[in-house]
Amino acid sequence: MVRTIDEMTPVDHACAVADSDEHLWEVTAAWLAGGLAAGERVLYFEDETAAAVLGRLADDRVPVRQAIGSGQLLVMPTARTREILSGPAGDLERLLDGHVIEATTRGWPRLRLTGETACALSPSGSADRVMAFERATERVLRRHPATRLLCRYDRRRWNDQAIDEMRRMHDTELVSPAVYDDNLLRITRNGPSSARLAGEIDHSNRLRIRTLLETMLDQTLRSHSAPTDVVLDLSSLRFLDVAGAISAVHAAEEFPSTHRLRLVGVRPRVLRLLDRCGAPFAAQLVVEAHPEPGDPQPLADPALAVPEPVES
Amino acid sequence: MVKVQATRGAEAVRLSHGAGFYGSHAELVAQLEPLARAARDRGEPLVVGVRPITEQALRHLLGDAVELIPLAQPVGADPGSGQTVASRRALQLRKLTEGGTRPVTAITEHISRFDGPDGSFWTELDAAMNVALSELPVTLTCFFPDLPLHQRILDGARSNHEQLLVDGVLRSNSGYQAPRDVLADQPAAAPDVLGPPDVSLQFGAWELHEVRAQVQQALLDGGCQLNHAEDVVLAVNEVATNAVEHGESEAELYLWTGDELVCEVHDRGILSDPLPGLQAPHPSDPKGRGLWIARQLCDMLHIWSDAGGTHVRMRTTR
Repeated sequence: MVRTIDEMTPVDHACAVADSDEHLWEVTAAWLAGGLAAGERVLYFEDETAAAVLGRLADDRVPVRQAIGSGQLLVMPTARTREILSGPAGDLERLLDGHVIEATTRGWPRLRLTGETACALSPSGSADRVMAFERATERVLRRHPATRLLCRYDRRRWNDQAIDEMRRMHDTELVSPAVYDDNLLRITRNGPSSARLAGEIDHSNRLRIRTLLETMLDQTLRSHSAPTDVVLDLSSLRFLDVAGAISAVHAAEEFPSTHRLRLVGVRPRVLRLLDRCGAPFAAQLVVEAHPEPGDPQPLADPALAVPEPVES
Repeated sequence: MVKVQATRGAEAVRLSHGAGFYGSHAELVAQLEPLARAARDRGEPLVVGVRPITEQALRHLLGDAVELIPLAQPVGADPGSGQTVASRRALQLRKLTEGGTRPVTAITEHISRFDGPDGSFWTELDAAMNVALSELPVTLTCFFPDLPLHQRILDGARSNHEQLLVDGVLRSNSGYQAPRDVLADQPAAAPDVLGPPDVSLQFGAWELHEVRAQVQQALLDGGCQLNHAEDVVLAVNEVATNAVEHGESEAELYLWTGDELVCEVHDRGILSDPLPGLQAPHPSDPKGRGLWIARQLCDMLHIWSDAGGTHVRMRTTR
């Protein structure tokens, strides 16, 4: 069964196949955010990825610091993640059992899990070990129905046959289609007149932005029901070069007078550049700053240490 | 209804760049005084790039009522980059002219400690000033000694100034040459050679993110503020983009880390504009803005070219 991230209501053991790093952060953050919003205890096994994932949560306006502060969101540090995943599958099974019991004891209705398993679990590229761990976690999920797990697979790492095998282990696959993804920039459409950009725009991919804007404007003009604003969500756009900024300003200037280009969730770095490139003088360009841009280095936070659950 | 729109005025707003010469310090001060008084009478800000002894003499003659605004002077480890000084001065004068709407008077004096090995600094500086200030309403008069240590200082002064001050009157200079021609005869010099770099990276048009990652890491490792680091990364990205956009497909990045970050980008392309990025680009012109912004974001940005290609050195505090 294939579902989009938005419709993943009662999912127990889901998988997602990611095309790029940006895709991984997107799907991981969506899964974690879903748990936080549902009032569940959320546990994330990081592998030098906490900055990217917590950053993406902040981009998505998820109050991630509060969630860590209140103990709702736990982040398993890289060293511990690798230690657990390089040991026998039974150790992970016991650790997860402990975490489920601890979460229940503390009154959380459910425990939601995901993590960076690919590197530590299969350094040799063998899918067998991944399958052994999949079966171990499946047993945990059966013993504790209040547990949910998302397994993510990197398409760049596995061949089609391995991916198909992994898919069969899961009742649900989460998909989030992109209109463009070159592993530096990921573009997703979230409506006829709006799109989200995640990553970096430079000389290598900036023509895509021009094309995207032209397409979105054409579609907006052709549709009677579409709004008069074309919206680009730049919450996760971490770099924009000068030519890219100028091209956005020019695109807005060439819009018909009835329509505007709105850049929303703009991070401080991109905001400063747009200011230098004449954005304040473009009448049909609206630039809205991100209300709480994520700290680009949230890792330097001692609060991330996860207490080991008491063995029961 | 006829709509009357105010324009910038019929008279073209532009730089007036003259040179004067002196045999003694007393002669210099005697020529500076009437220029300063005339600026005061016109109500123009007066900007001075002179030695302290000259400034004292001017203060003594003019009294405290006239404010002498100091003009940006060469600083840092590569003081011989005339284009960097011109870029700083253009930024400063653009503000004083309130975006090019208010006339400003500036006077400068030759200071021999900036001569460098051969005095070519002054020729690069004045050519770069002609480019960087061309659209600003600035009356700039530069004074040189009759007998400087290096003859090329005088040759450069006679080529770079549209007017020469003779007996207190500015006259058109028949020896004037456009900056491009001056720089064709005397290109911007290579800065002092540095030791082996701490980081070197070969990159192409699809590896600019590697360049940004290296520079950002070097800055943040040195305890640099995030905003400043991001601005410098943007500056280097623009220079690196030019290298792979206009030059050959492969270019090189070198980094030296210390109290400052020194960054060089080398490519094998040919420089079509001898001093790019000095003039504020027109809003409708997408080209040239990258380097112009890069110059604003670095403490020093020096571009030079030779038979091997085009080279850029940037410096910034960490």
